[in-house]
Amino acid sequence: MTPAAVVRRILFYGLITLLSLFFALPLLWLVLAPFDKTPTLTVKIPDFTLDNFAELGKNPYALSSLKNSILISGGAMLLVTGLSALAAYALSRVRVPGRDLILYALLLLSSIVTGTAAMVPIFLLMFQLGLIDDRSGVSLVLTGGLLPAAIFILKDFMDATPKSYEESARVFGASPLQVLRHVVLPIARPGLATIAVWALVNAWGDFLTAYILLRDPEKTPAGVLMYTFYTEGGQANLPLISTFSLVYAIPVVALYLFVNRRYGFRFHGGIKS
Amino acid sequence: MASIDLVGLSKVYAGGVAAVDDLTLSIADGEFFALLGPSGCGKTTLLRTIAGLEEVTSGQLLLGGKDVTRLPPGKRDVAMVFQDYALFPHMDVTDNISYPLRIQKMAKAERREKAATTGAGLGLETLMDRRPGQLSGGQQQRVALARAIAYQPAVFLFDEPLSNLDARLRLEARTFLKRLQHELSVTTVFVTHDQAEALAMADTIAVMEAGHIRQIGTPSDVFHRPANVFVANFIGSTPMNLVPGSAFGRELVPEGDDVLVGFRPEYTKLDDTGRYSLDGTVSIVENLGASMLVSVSCGDHSVQALVPEGEEPPVDAKVSLSPTDKRVLRYRTADGELLEPDRVAASADR
Repeated sequence: MTPAAVVRRILFYGLITLLSLFFALPLLWLVLAPFDKTPTLTVKIPDFTLDNFAELGKNPYALSSLKNSILISGGAMLLVTGLSALAAYALSRVRVPGRDLILYALLLLSSIVTGTAAMVPIFLLMFQLGLIDDRSGVSLVLTGGLLPAAIFILKDFMDATPKSYEESARVFGASPLQVLRHVVLPIARPGLATIAVWALVNAWGDFLTAYILLRDPEKTPAGVLMYTFYTEGGQANLPLISTFSLVYAIPVVALYLFVNRRYGFRFHGGIKS
Repeated sequence: MASIDLVGLSKVYAGGVAAVDDLTLSIADGEFFALLGPSGCGKTTLLRTIAGLEEVTSGQLLLGGKDVTRLPPGKRDVAMVFQDYALFPHMDVTDNISYPLRIQKMAKAERREKAATTGAGLGLETLMDRRPGQLSGGQQQRVALARAIAYQPAVFLFDEPLSNLDARLRLEARTFLKRLQHELSVTTVFVTHDQAEALAMADTIAVMEAGHIRQIGTPSDVFHRPANVFVANFIGSTPMNLVPGSAFGRELVPEGDDVLVGFRPEYTKLDDTGRYSLDGTVSIVENLGASMLVSVSCGDHSVQALVPEGEEPPVDAKVSLSPTDKRVLRYRTADGELLEPDRVAASADR
């Protein structure tokens, strides 16, 4: 290697190291701060303790909020995956006039549904439906916001699956339900898994919808609960926030790893045609 | 085992395009039948209509004498091999082959055994645990065939069975398919756009154009006596020479009728020993290996002749060429149909 090439390589890896550090620091803080006696906003070698977790256990709402998060985002995940799978399959296989226009319009409008601008009408709507301070209301609103994008992604996925698989099964005498069970769903499984994880992560991280629609602290999900972690002096309670953040992040990361191992987030390919 | 009868069958798509237009034809039991035509001629639609994947607009479809026009695909007792083979990517070879048996509710052990026997018959013994993605194109095709065979249908339908294979494998598969069909003697309809494939494999060929059948016959029929100009152009590795009769002088032209004289490059010699001949200049010589394809400009027309390797004239040489007497056909210029009696020799000897 010429000296110039060595220098170039050093600069290149130096740049990569800097960039990695930039993105790694917050994550490092998330992992280290909960185990520190006096966590601050800087990343440092922790003065090791597990007291923060004990402290968190004393919070009356910590555990129930995680349960609420699971209920709300789990419900949204099931609804989004189930409904988008059916809608995407239909949209991919049946000729609907103006289909693409409908899809793009939905996609565009969906960003408004869960956005700040629509919060007043959504609040009124949920109020009329009697779903204020109801966890299923939050699930429904989140589902409405996520569905269009989910349908859009899954429809692309279904489009890429050749019709000949289904036709082949039909020629051998499979009923529509058998075609769905034996062929369509197994082939679409990686796509469904992707959508499920994506929906769960989105609903899990939601703050605004739950903050506005829920009153009862018993029903508050984890994302909103964290907002209440202040010391008596009005300062952010860093030990509690960092510890709870870590606990809050674990289920999502675990789910991602599980689904990735099981389904691999990849597409089953047939023959390239 | 079943014959196939189409009676006035039409398939019109929404928008008014008639992919299959009032078709009547019979395919005998055990026959290897080719639907041949350029893309968009309706051959695949016709095959899918027989399978039941497309609904018939009007007319009747009989399989083994039984009216199946309105039956769903699964009740017709036909097996289809798709162009992309449509092997289920999430199942291994055993599960793929035994899928039709699973639908028929055969016990698992029994259908695994049946799949193993069928697979072994096609040389798939060592591949039974693989997924389709781990197989080569030729192996995938054999799995698709095994799956169709395991179903034990009355009719096989193949959609472009060879088009997804490499050129060399295609020749092998062609021989293999023909032998297999011969052994099973199940009525088989296959679709192809490759005339060489149809000539090599089929017992009977139907040449299609724009939803109509332009000729039905044995490979030898359609090759030696194309019923019209379209078939004459489509069949053969090099299209037939079609030259206005006037170029040959009066004796070829019956009174009051404009004709096109057709003769294959294979039956054209570069000399003037035939009864009829043309003079021209060699414009292009193409090397086809054992033979040379010589293009000759004769006035306004270009005529091709196939000559053995080593006997080709140089480019720009002045040559005479003459079709083999018995291989000359005449077509009416007005509608492109073959004239009877078609042999020029016969009409000239009259």
